[in-house]
Amino acid sequence: MPARPLPHFSDPRTNCVLRAIPAPDWSRWSAYLEPVHLSIGQVLAEAGRVPGYVVFPTTAVVSLLYVSEDGASTELAVIGLEGMVGISLLMGGNAMPYQAVVQSAGLGFRLRAQVVTDDIARGGALFQLMLRYAQTLMDQVAQTAACNRYYSIDQLLCRRLLLALDRIPSGVLMMTQELLANLLGVRREGVTVAALKLQTAGAIRYRRGRIDILDRAELAMRVNSAPLPVIPTRLAPYAPGLSMGA
Amino acid sequence: MKSKVGSGVDGAKVNRLLAALPIADWSRWEAELELVNLPLGHVLYEPGDKIDYMTFPTTAIVSMLYVMENGASAEIAVVGHEGLVGISIFMGGDSTPSRAVVQSAGKGYRLPAQFVKAEFNRSHAVMHRLLRFTQALITQMAQTAVCNRHHSIDKQLCRWLLLSLDRLDGRELVMTQELIANMLGVRREGVTEGATRLQDAGLIRYSRGKITILDRAGLEARTCECYAVVKNEYDRLLERKSFSATRQPQKGDQDVATATT
Repeated sequence: MPARPLPHFSDPRTNCVLRAIPAPDWSRWSAYLEPVHLSIGQVLAEAGRVPGYVVFPTTAVVSLLYVSEDGASTELAVIGLEGMVGISLLMGGNAMPYQAVVQSAGLGFRLRAQVVTDDIARGGALFQLMLRYAQTLMDQVAQTAACNRYYSIDQLLCRRLLLALDRIPSGVLMMTQELLANLLGVRREGVTVAALKLQTAGAIRYRRGRIDILDRAELAMRVNSAPLPVIPTRLAPYAPGLSMGA
Repeated sequence: MKSKVGSGVDGAKVNRLLAALPIADWSRWEAELELVNLPLGHVLYEPGDKIDYMTFPTTAIVSMLYVMENGASAEIAVVGHEGLVGISIFMGGDSTPSRAVVQSAGKGYRLPAQFVKAEFNRSHAVMHRLLRFTQALITQMAQTAVCNRHHSIDKQLCRWLLLSLDRLDGRELVMTQELIANMLGVRREGVTEGATRLQDAGLIRYSRGKITILDRAGLEARTCECYAVVKNEYDRLLERKSFSATRQPQKGDQDVATATT
């Protein structure tokens, strides 16, 4: 699949939480949304620090990471166009022990924290949507915990590629094996071996720093299931016309 | 038929979330709370179930298990008197992909889902407390993800014992090694070996399905950092006396536009 160039300005309604905002509320919210360009490695929220913004990715993809005392990272969840970064603002804990880092450069929209907390106080429409997304995120974290218990390196890699593919429709992932090893918490050699198997099976093609997903079904078969749907069914009634799925 | 809400050892306020309710809300809640018996192995809900009641354990401990496609399950969190089971009632989703099962027998109180939803929408104090609990729960699940990937069975066993102990009065856990193995998603032999090592080190005594914690500090020294991360977050999120509903962004808060790597 050829890579498409990133648009200069993206439509905020590409983000599923924003797209689900009821039409009567949209003009008010769109006035508050600021477009942002997110660079790879950019830290959107530091562990233990209160974020100043909630970010709704459109083309960017963000990792939620735990950084251990010895410096090792474990990725807990992947957040892209289906969600938002900054649920600790929503849940009232303000900070969390996890870091949100841009893992795939792209675009998004941000809202100032105060605007978000005002909507929470009102129990408004965006608040309800963010709550639904928060449960989706929780489900993804729960799945990560279970997969980290049971999955082989091959399966962990497949799952991670599928999570990326759901958020990067072009199927072109700018990810090194080193990065994948860090995110998955496995040795780089393990990723190399697993990636080679997938390439031999025709599921992916990889060159230095770039992975092209060729056969999604092959990846899904290797994990015995599809990962969590990108558009969780609980958001679906609020976002008619969405056709993306697992 | 609802059992009367008592104030003794089985009283509802043994549950900390219920105890923290503002007086103004309590009389409404008291009328709806129903005492329930939670025997070992009782399943409160399965993945995909619509959840009709929110349960607040008092003396029981409930495990949340994520169920994989092939039926294997792994514990992702424990809930006891510090919390509640049934967050999807107020989070807006109808169900979750996890199973909630009683891991340590005891009692709790339950409330109808509709009542909880209404209270959540009506009272900011209730909403904030329930959401902060939910954030603590997410932290516990996240650390389980870290632990499952990086930490030895011994460390995981210590963490699990400590998290369970935090939710019990006293130092005793009625638990088979088989059950622990199921919870941790490991082989039973691994648990036996781990428990033997802890016993040899004088940290626990294990006999006939009962684990007695002898040296809690020793367990804390032996476990991974995940236990402290979870405990600190629970303490911070649940034990604070007051918190601001509309926190103003402070100088020094992360700024997306100017953040550098």
